[in-house]
Amino acid sequence: MLDYEFLLDDFFIALSGVPITLLVTLISLGVSIPVGFIFAIFRLDKSRFWNKIIGVYVSFVRGTPMIVQIFIVYSSIPVLLKSFFVLLQWDTDIYKLNPIWYAFIVFSLNSIAILSEIFRSALIAVHREQLEAAYSVGLSTFQAYREIIIPQLLVVAMPNLCNATTNLIKATSLGYAMSLQEITLRAKVAANANYNYVEAYIAIFLVYLLLCSLVEYGFKHYEKKLRFYKFGTA
Amino acid sequence: MEKYFDVAYIVTSIPLLLPYIEITFWITVIAAFWGTILGLLFAVAKLSPYQVLQKIAAAYTTALRCTPSIVLLFMSYYGIPLVLSIFNISLDAVDKSVFVLIAFSLQFSNNMCEAFRTAYEAVDPGQMEAAYTIGLTQLQAYWHIVFPQALVVALPNIENALISLIKEGALAYTIGLIDLTGKANLIIAGNYNSHALEVYLSLAFIYWMISLGVQKVFYRIAHIFSKGKRLLLS
Repeated sequence: MLDYEFLLDDFFIALSGVPITLLVTLISLGVSIPVGFIFAIFRLDKSRFWNKIIGVYVSFVRGTPMIVQIFIVYSSIPVLLKSFFVLLQWDTDIYKLNPIWYAFIVFSLNSIAILSEIFRSALIAVHREQLEAAYSVGLSTFQAYREIIIPQLLVVAMPNLCNATTNLIKATSLGYAMSLQEITLRAKVAANANYNYVEAYIAIFLVYLLLCSLVEYGFKHYEKKLRFYKFGTA
Repeated sequence: MEKYFDVAYIVTSIPLLLPYIEITFWITVIAAFWGTILGLLFAVAKLSPYQVLQKIAAAYTTALRCTPSIVLLFMSYYGIPLVLSIFNISLDAVDKSVFVLIAFSLQFSNNMCEAFRTAYEAVDPGQMEAAYTIGLTQLQAYWHIVFPQALVVALPNIENALISLIKEGALAYTIGLIDLTGKANLIIAGNYNSHALEVYLSLAFIYWMISLGVQKVFYRIAHIFSKGKRLLLS
């Protein structure tokens, strides 16, 4: 019943999509870690105005399905960019743009909201006195964050960051809606010829299982390393 | 030329979408029901003293945690009929919603399993012993002492699981189920693919309001069940 030969072939086709998936994941995390962190500090320290604005943004992202966010970005960004390019008199055909750019935008916008919440709860967990104590020994704000706050914050945030990363990897499977050539789309397209969809989805499942298990293992390992300062006091 | 963006479409498509909340609602309720039962079973297996059961439950949660919903959905849609066709059972007459329900029940059960397990582990074993010393039976101790405390711990995770179930449910349109998202795509197709952005915005708005509603309900429940805690603190 199952075509094992095709299953094996398709497994490698699915594997060939891993670099795209990882690239989208890494770029989105690279954008959203600093921005999310700044948003988190803004929500805790700055005016009520910023708190409200960022709060509404976070609530929207967390309250709507990923696929609907993709639909919205995919149907609005081309028009926005087009009018922008016309304004600058650039001669670029927006509809020939590689879909990976839309993927960067969608998944970054999504991760910023998720990560800002993670950092916010981690910042609350690291007590304010730590910052005051750092000031009292003469550190600047930047030094205090780099030497005192962030190392402690990372330990608290690590399990959630791991979850967010695996969720992001899984969410990139929705890239098919933007015809992004990642794991799911590649394996599925290969199955179109003979309707071997069951084999295709088993192959996709195995690739994601492998990828997410590796990421989880990596995070666990890194978390252990980060905890080193805790042993000093024990 | 017609305007690309017309706010009127956002308003007029909301009443067209609203009746389909019913489908999304029933999918959520039924998947949540079966998911809770399955999740409870796997949580019991994880906490049981039997190694075999622990291993099976751990494999189940790892596999499901690493599978994107869309992959699970298609594995259910293509895989179940294939497996049953070996036994000469045809599923041609079965409604598509059944496959959607199976996929999302499994997905939800995984989140619930983790919610139950962490909640149970969060309750101090001393509570159980204390309950025995005042003469409660095991069942009474669970029902009156452990369960109310575990529920308070589990509530935020249950809330997250439920909201993500509602959001992931949006993917059911991919196998042709007409729920909120499916209807939105039908409206857009009916418009010859114009004004897609407006329809998606109203779709996002509806999902957003549903999520906020769920959050409100859980806030009330948490308020009711954390009574004991507040008394102790004051």
